[in-house]
Amino acid sequence: MKQEVSPQLQEDQKGPWWRVFLSFIFDVRVLGVLGQIGFILLVIIIAQTIGGNFSENASRLGESQFICRDGTFSYRCAYDFMDSESGFDIAETMIDYVNTDPYWTAFKVGLLNTLKLALLGVTLTTLIGIIAGIARLSDNWLVSKLALWYVELMRNTPLLIQIVFIYFGVVLALPALKEAIQPMGLPIFLSERGLNLPKLIFTSSASIWIAFLILGIIQFQVLWTSLGRREERTGQASNRVALGIISLVIVASIGWFTASAVSDTQGMLVTKGSRILDVGDLVKFTLRRAKVNHIDDIAALPEEEISAAAFQVCVLEDSSSEANLTRHLRGLKIPYNIHRTDRPDQATAKFADGTCEAFAASKSILAAERATLENLTGNIIISIKESPLVWSLPVLEGLNMVGGSKVRPEFTALLMALVLFYGGSIAEIVRAGILSVSKGQSEAARALGLSEGQRLQLVVMPQALRVIIPPLIGEFLSLSKDTSLGFAIGFPDMYAVSYTTMNQSGRVLQLFVLMMLVYMTISIVFSGVLNWYNERAKLVER
Amino acid sequence: MTESITQIQEPVGKRFNWEIFLQDNITGSWFQAIWVLLLTIFTISYAISQFDNLPLSTGIILGGWVIGIFMVVRGELSLKHSRLSRWLKNNLISSISNTILTLLIILVIAFSINSIWQWAVVNANFNPLETTPEFRTEEGATWGVIFGARKLLMTGLMAPEDSWRVWIALGFILVMWVLTLVSGRPKLKEKLKALRTVVNTVWLLSPAILYLFLAGAPNNPYNIKLMLIAEVGILAIYLLLWWQKVVQFYWRSFIITALGWPLLYTIWSTIGTSEFFPPINVDTWGGLLLTMIIASAVIVLSLPLGMVLALGRRSEVYGIPDWIVWPVAVGAMIWGFTTTPVLLETSRNLIERLLAFWPLLIFGVAYILQRAFKGNVVAGASTTFIEFIRSVPLITLLFMGIVMAPFFLAPGVYTPKPWPVIIGYTLFASAYSAEIIRGGLQAIPHGQFEAADSLGFNGLQKMRFIVLPQALRIVIPPIVGQFIGAFKSSSLVSIVGLFDFVGISKVVIANNEWLGLRTELYVFMAVVYFLGSFLMSSYSRRLEVRLGLGER
Repeated sequence: MKQEVSPQLQEDQKGPWWRVFLSFIFDVRVLGVLGQIGFILLVIIIAQTIGGNFSENASRLGESQFICRDGTFSYRCAYDFMDSESGFDIAETMIDYVNTDPYWTAFKVGLLNTLKLALLGVTLTTLIGIIAGIARLSDNWLVSKLALWYVELMRNTPLLIQIVFIYFGVVLALPALKEAIQPMGLPIFLSERGLNLPKLIFTSSASIWIAFLILGIIQFQVLWTSLGRREERTGQASNRVALGIISLVIVASIGWFTASAVSDTQGMLVTKGSRILDVGDLVKFTLRRAKVNHIDDIAALPEEEISAAAFQVCVLEDSSSEANLTRHLRGLKIPYNIHRTDRPDQATAKFADGTCEAFAASKSILAAERATLENLTGNIIISIKESPLVWSLPVLEGLNMVGGSKVRPEFTALLMALVLFYGGSIAEIVRAGILSVSKGQSEAARALGLSEGQRLQLVVMPQALRVIIPPLIGEFLSLSKDTSLGFAIGFPDMYAVSYTTMNQSGRVLQLFVLMMLVYMTISIVFSGVLNWYNERAKLVER
Repeated sequence: MTESITQIQEPVGKRFNWEIFLQDNITGSWFQAIWVLLLTIFTISYAISQFDNLPLSTGIILGGWVIGIFMVVRGELSLKHSRLSRWLKNNLISSISNTILTLLIILVIAFSINSIWQWAVVNANFNPLETTPEFRTEEGATWGVIFGARKLLMTGLMAPEDSWRVWIALGFILVMWVLTLVSGRPKLKEKLKALRTVVNTVWLLSPAILYLFLAGAPNNPYNIKLMLIAEVGILAIYLLLWWQKVVQFYWRSFIITALGWPLLYTIWSTIGTSEFFPPINVDTWGGLLLTMIIASAVIVLSLPLGMVLALGRRSEVYGIPDWIVWPVAVGAMIWGFTTTPVLLETSRNLIERLLAFWPLLIFGVAYILQRAFKGNVVAGASTTFIEFIRSVPLITLLFMGIVMAPFFLAPGVYTPKPWPVIIGYTLFASAYSAEIIRGGLQAIPHGQFEAADSLGFNGLQKMRFIVLPQALRIVIPPIVGQFIGAFKSSSLVSIVGLFDFVGISKVVIANNEWLGLRTELYVFMAVVYFLGSFLMSSYSRRLEVRLGLGER
């Protein structure tokens, strides 16, 4: 031990006690530790002052901040108010919510909206960013300049202005629902009321099809592995991608037709007198009523005659039967008119009084309803074939869109603004990533005789991705945080819902802590992904 | 042998071959064929629809396009390109898909520009007196609102009789810029050395001067205690720097440092009590003025704070040793656990039962401090602060400044809205600046540190003379990007109810004269922000060139 003490230190320790003490104190390390302890004490003192101020302010505002359900005052009851009735409406909800639900449910609605926006935004932004980034590198001068100006415009104007501009200047300035824009005649309606998109509905026969699909995927995997093994063993090349996809498509389509053929849950209640025994008979039925010889002639008839000949059918609100039946009717070119009801007995009543000529629903409902009818034998239930997936198309009826999925204008505008803004940043990241791969790599790949696709897939992209992904995840995190800007145009995300809750309940601190926790969780998830990727990318390195 | 040589010498690639041409352009792969097909269909349908709208201009564009193709094809076939046709061939008409894409983009750009031009210029109304609904049209802008509402847009709700102070501030900044640029010219650099010193000193004092112009000196009595405390602090810092040999001791600089502050403070309070610049209500600041104040305050304050945080995060000071931390932590825990039985007794659900064991948090903090930071409180605190700030959105921090600050301040203290917003925003920006500066510090090669050590530099000297000059030079491009971000994001203060450049638009469009003229205002704002950001980024590019960044 004695040898380790330096001569310098020994010299210091000589002399009177106060000199020893001073030389101990004026050691940089000791000063540093004392300073750090002082810092901790300072933080504790500041925290105490702030906490004291807070409790004083809180008690001045009344003890309502921390009131328990039994009326006593305690800090641990800070979140008790969240169980009371919220009393405000939220325009966009993913889960069932009414204004009599507790604040917790409202908060959950907001949180889900935030997550939905963030997830959709991240996906679409990546797409736009990659397209714009590649466009920046295009050999077409116009394309690259266009992408450059897009990036510059996005980078040099505030996101907030873009959001309010797109909301007020673009989405709300779109034509009214009646003159909605339909890009390229697709069933997509863009209007001042937002976006109406077709929606895929899984019907009851979907389970059979999904079983086939899983079978197909297993089969694909088996084929892929076995062909790969054969290739390794014999060197005999085979187009695994094409073979795999073809076999998957074959299995999936067999499953599709089987599921459609087997399905027998959907039916339609009609009168015997109408002489309709299956869906195909509807053509004859309509021709008879419209007094024409061919179904194509109906379109030529005047408006009133078409509506008079229209097939009147009752369905239940939000059922897949409607989408399934209208698909058949559209296919047969039969004019139709849908009556929607909330409950089966209402539909049956309409059917009984003749408003509807048919009632389409699942067979079990129909059998129960048919039993309630007076003229039991005069009515029959016919089967309707059902495919596993049915498109529910948006249709304009009166002043509203019916069917499909609706995207509200606030969501449309916010998503558009976020995607465009972050698309610009990601374009630059993608460009920098692709440029970071040295030219020699591409040349070497070409020299090895790789095709252009193989060159990108096997040589350029793996190296570029290592540069692209870390900043990309940073952008994703910023995007998730910037969903809070939806507040400016009234999109009910978590921040907006919390703000309303704060205003109503006066509990600022509680909600603030809650919000911070959520945002920090999101951030931790993203940085976890980033660290995981960095670890993985590091392993790839030599 | 001779045959093969002649074959090679023949310009094989130049002879036109349909098969090769088609394979290069269309039938190379399925993907390419489908892409060309879709592009062609889309372009044709778009061209036809535009031809119906504007036959003449579409015709001219189509004609130009055909002529361009003709020129390139002729050049290719005759093996003789003019300058124009070579440029066209390389940049616009290099392949079939590019040729079609060129047409599509020209059409799209032409018609977008045309419709914007029609709205913004041809059908627009520029008269500031004709902004009421009866003068407006659907297809034209009403730009009069910009000129009409210029006062609101520039200074917000500030009283008109105080406008002269804004003008003075503006004039002051302009004069200072001119002086800086003049004295910085290479030719005059030597002659105007004294002027440069004065200009730099005034720049240092400019926050106080601008505060005087824009907010007015507070009419407080002369506070001798405050003055002396600050004086002692200033002298202590000076002596510390002298002791650590970062500054050299000159009597002149010592006297300036020692007497500067009391002098300035006296002048300040004299002006404050003389009512020459009476204090004005800071809450009335608005418009571009407020945006500029917030942005520049945040930019100026966040850089040093970010530097401190970055140095703190990387600091390698000797941490608090285990034999101090653990006894204190365990003691605090034992003291804390005395509350647990009571809390457990009154708990109502699982979460509250878990929270009764809160002293475990002390253990957790101590464990993280010792394990991850080796007892280094400076690094631990800086890292925690930076990571916390970076994980939450800016508007929650601004909101904290506006709504929560009154809760945390002493009861009855009122702070005008801009101050908490500036503080919250500065904290936010400094966390981001800190990460950028940390990147710069990490980029300094380790040899530099070792060289400084071998020269016998102490810690402060090493930072001041070796590390920071290099690190700050490296971080100029990203830090300017961060400044641009701070300038742009200052628009978020409008969400928490400040009437900055964006927030004031609510006031403008609520006015009967300009009711609902949103689009014009937003376009104007976007242009202003664009110009501001563009100027900043081009200035940073010039700075990079001047400092020779990327050349070493």
